Amino acid sequence: MLVDDLKSIVGPEGWTTDPGDLQPHLTEWRDIWTGKTLVMVSPASTREVASIVRECHKAGTGVVPQGGNTGLCGGAIPDQSGNQVLLSLSRMNAVRSVSPNDHSLVVDAGCTLASIQEAAQQVDRFFPLSLAAEGSCQIGGNLSTNAGGINVLRYGTARAQALGLEVVLPDGTIWDGLRSLRKDTSGYDLKQLFIGAEGTLGVITAACLRLYPSVKGLQTALVSVDSPDGAVALLADLRHRMSDQLQAFELIPDRAIRYVLRHFPSARFPLEPTSPWYVLMESINSDGNEQLEHQLLACLDAGLISDAIVAKNKGEADALWGIRHAISEAQKKEGASLKHDISVPVGTIGDFIRAADVAVTRHLPGVRVVAFGHVGDGNVHYNLSQPAGTDPASFLAQGEALASLVYEVVAGLGGSISAEHGIGQAKRAHLLQYRSATEIHLMRTIKAALDPENIMNPGKVI
Amino acid sequence: MDKILVGLKRVVDYNVRVRVKSDGSGVETDGVKMSINPFDEIALEEALRIKERGDANEVIVVSIGNNDAQQQLRTGLAMGADRAILVETANHVDSLTGARVFKALIDRENPDLVILGKQAIDDDNSQTGQMLAALWNRPQATFASNLSIVGQKATVTREVDVGLEIVEVDLPAVITVDLRMNEPRYVKLPDIMKAKKKPLDQVLLGDLNIEEATGIKQVVFEPPSERQKGAMVDDVAGLVAALKDKGLI
Repeated sequence: MLVDDLKSIVGPEGWTTDPGDLQPHLTEWRDIWTGKTLVMVSPASTREVASIVRECHKAGTGVVPQGGNTGLCGGAIPDQSGNQVLLSLSRMNAVRSVSPNDHSLVVDAGCTLASIQEAAQQVDRFFPLSLAAEGSCQIGGNLSTNAGGINVLRYGTARAQALGLEVVLPDGTIWDGLRSLRKDTSGYDLKQLFIGAEGTLGVITAACLRLYPSVKGLQTALVSVDSPDGAVALLADLRHRMSDQLQAFELIPDRAIRYVLRHFPSARFPLEPTSPWYVLMESINSDGNEQLEHQLLACLDAGLISDAIVAKNKGEADALWGIRHAISEAQKKEGASLKHDISVPVGTIGDFIRAADVAVTRHLPGVRVVAFGHVGDGNVHYNLSQPAGTDPASFLAQGEALASLVYEVVAGLGGSISAEHGIGQAKRAHLLQYRSATEIHLMRTIKAALDPENIMNPGKVI
Repeated sequence: MDKILVGLKRVVDYNVRVRVKSDGSGVETDGVKMSINPFDEIALEEALRIKERGDANEVIVVSIGNNDAQQQLRTGLAMGADRAILVETANHVDSLTGARVFKALIDRENPDLVILGKQAIDDDNSQTGQMLAALWNRPQATFASNLSIVGQKATVTREVDVGLEIVEVDLPAVITVDLRMNEPRYVKLPDIMKAKKKPLDQVLLGDLNIEEATGIKQVVFEPPSERQKGAMVDDVAGLVAALKDKGLI
C-alpha cells in the first residue's frame, strides 16, 4: 500500500526494488554496514520528497535519506528490518541559480561536490569545500554530516558554507529557508539544526551556499618533518610568517606513503622516503610572489625543516594531492581497517598519537597505525590496519575494544570522537558515553520536538 | 661533449583554464599560474640526464621575455642547470625571432647540442627548432622520444605519424623533444637554495644585433565560440530532418 503510493509519487523512473540495483545503495564502500529496504525512491523534486515523507509519516515508516553513499559511519544505510524506505537524492542534481556578485549559489541536495566546485569556477568564483570523495559525494550529505575536508583551515567546515537551506520536515512540510543573507539575527538560526543532523530531523533538499573570490595562485609543497609535534610547530610558524595564507596542511605518515606506492604503481613520491612524517601544504599565492617557497626557504635556513619540494606546476601539485587522496583506498587494499575520525586541540595532536599508539599496540601487538589528517583542524584520522597476515574478522571483532582505547585518550585531551565523519550507526553508543547528560537531553528534546514519530533516519546518531 | 643549450619558455600553466582579456588584447596572465612550457621542461630533464651520465659538462638554460621569466630560469637552475641566460624584451617574440636569438647565443657559446621543446603550449607553432637548424645550418631531429649520444653522433627516436622513426644526426645539432621522452624531476628546497647562487646573465635582445621578425602581427584575441549543446535524434529520418532544419544539407 505505502510502497504503491510511493511508486505513484515518483513515477516509473523514480523507484526500484531490484536487488541488483539496490545493492550499491545498501552497502557502504568499506563493506562494514549493510541493510535492507522496502523500496528505494529517487524523487525528482522537493515536492516529491515532501509527498514521500508525508506518506511515510502517515504510515509510521522510517525514511533513510542517502546522497552519494560515501559515508563511513553507516549513517545513510537502512537497518536490517527491510521495513525502512531508502530515499536517494541523486536525481535532484540541478544547480538552481548562481549569483556571482552575491557570492552565492543555490543547488539541489543531490549535486555532487565536484559539480558545485565546477559551477563556481564557471563564474570565476571558488567553492572551498573539498574532500577525497568529491566526485561522488553529494552536498546534501556533506551538509547533513557537516563535512570538513582539506580546506577547513582557511574556510571552515560545510556548516560555514551554508547560507540557507530548504528542508522537508518529518511531517512532509517544506521549509523554504533558502536565504543568502550574511547577517540575520531574526530568531533561532534554524538551518544549523539540520546541518550535522545526519537526516534525523528532516531531509535537506537544497542549499544556498557561500562562494569566495577565485584563488588566483596556489603553491603546493611537500615537507619532511620528524614528528607530529614538529608539524604542529611548523604550522604555527608558517601561519605567523604568511599572515594566514595557508589553506591546507595535511599530516601524512610514512606508512601511508608506502601503502600508496605499493598499491598505486603509477604514483611517484618525490622526497627521499626516509622521514617518519610528511606534511602536504598549500597556500594562496595571489600576488605571484611565491610566498610559500620563500618562507619554507627561511625555515630551511633556520633548521626547522630539512627536506621539501615545491610543486613547479599544477600537474605536480595535482600528483601530490593524488597521493593524499589515495591513502584510504590504499589502506583498504592492505586488509581490514578500523577508522577513528577524532579531533583534539591542535597543540595536543602529538600527545594524542603517542598515547593512542601505546594503548592500541599494548592491546593488539602488530596493529598497523595509519594516523593522517588535517593538522590545522586538530583532526586526525587515526586508522588501524590489521596486523599483517592475520584474520580480518578477528581483527574487526576487536573494533569496540580498540575504539574505546582511542576514545579514552581523546576524552582525556578534551577532544571529540567524531571530527567530520559523523555518528551514524557506528558511534551511537560512544556518543552517549562521551557527551554529557545535559547535552544528550538537549539533543533528545530537539529530536522529539521535530520528529515525535521518530521516522527520520531512525537508529542513527541519537 | 662540452655544452648543451636548452630553451625554457614562460607560459600559462597547462592545467590553468586560459582566458582571453576582455579588451581582446591578449590572454589573461594577471595572477595566473605561469610555468615552464612542459615540453621545455622535458628538454631540460633530458639535458640534465645526459650531463649526469657524464656525456656533457655544462647545461645552460635560456629564456626570452620580460624580467618575470627569471622565475622559470631559477626553476631550471634548481632542477640542475649550471647557468642561465635571460634575453630581455618587452615585445612579442615569434618563432623566427626566437630562432635568431638562439643562433646569436650559439655564436657566443658554441654548444654541441641544443635541446628545445617540440612546441610551446601558448602559440603551438612548433617552428623555432626547425628554423634554428636552418639558420645554424646544422642537422635537426624533431619530436624526439628517445636520445642516445655516442661520440659526435646522436641517435634519436622520433614520434612520427606512422609510428617511430630512428635517425642518426651529427653533432652539433638541434633536437626538439616530445612528451614521452621522460618525466621531469621534482625540485627540492635545498636545490632552490643552491640555485640562487648560480649565475643568471641578463642580455637585452636589442644588444644581440639581430633583426626582430615583423612578418606576423597579433591583431586581436577571441575565445573560441561556445560549443552548442547536442541533441538526441530517434532515427535516421530524424537526423536528416534536424540537419535540413539547420540548413546544413
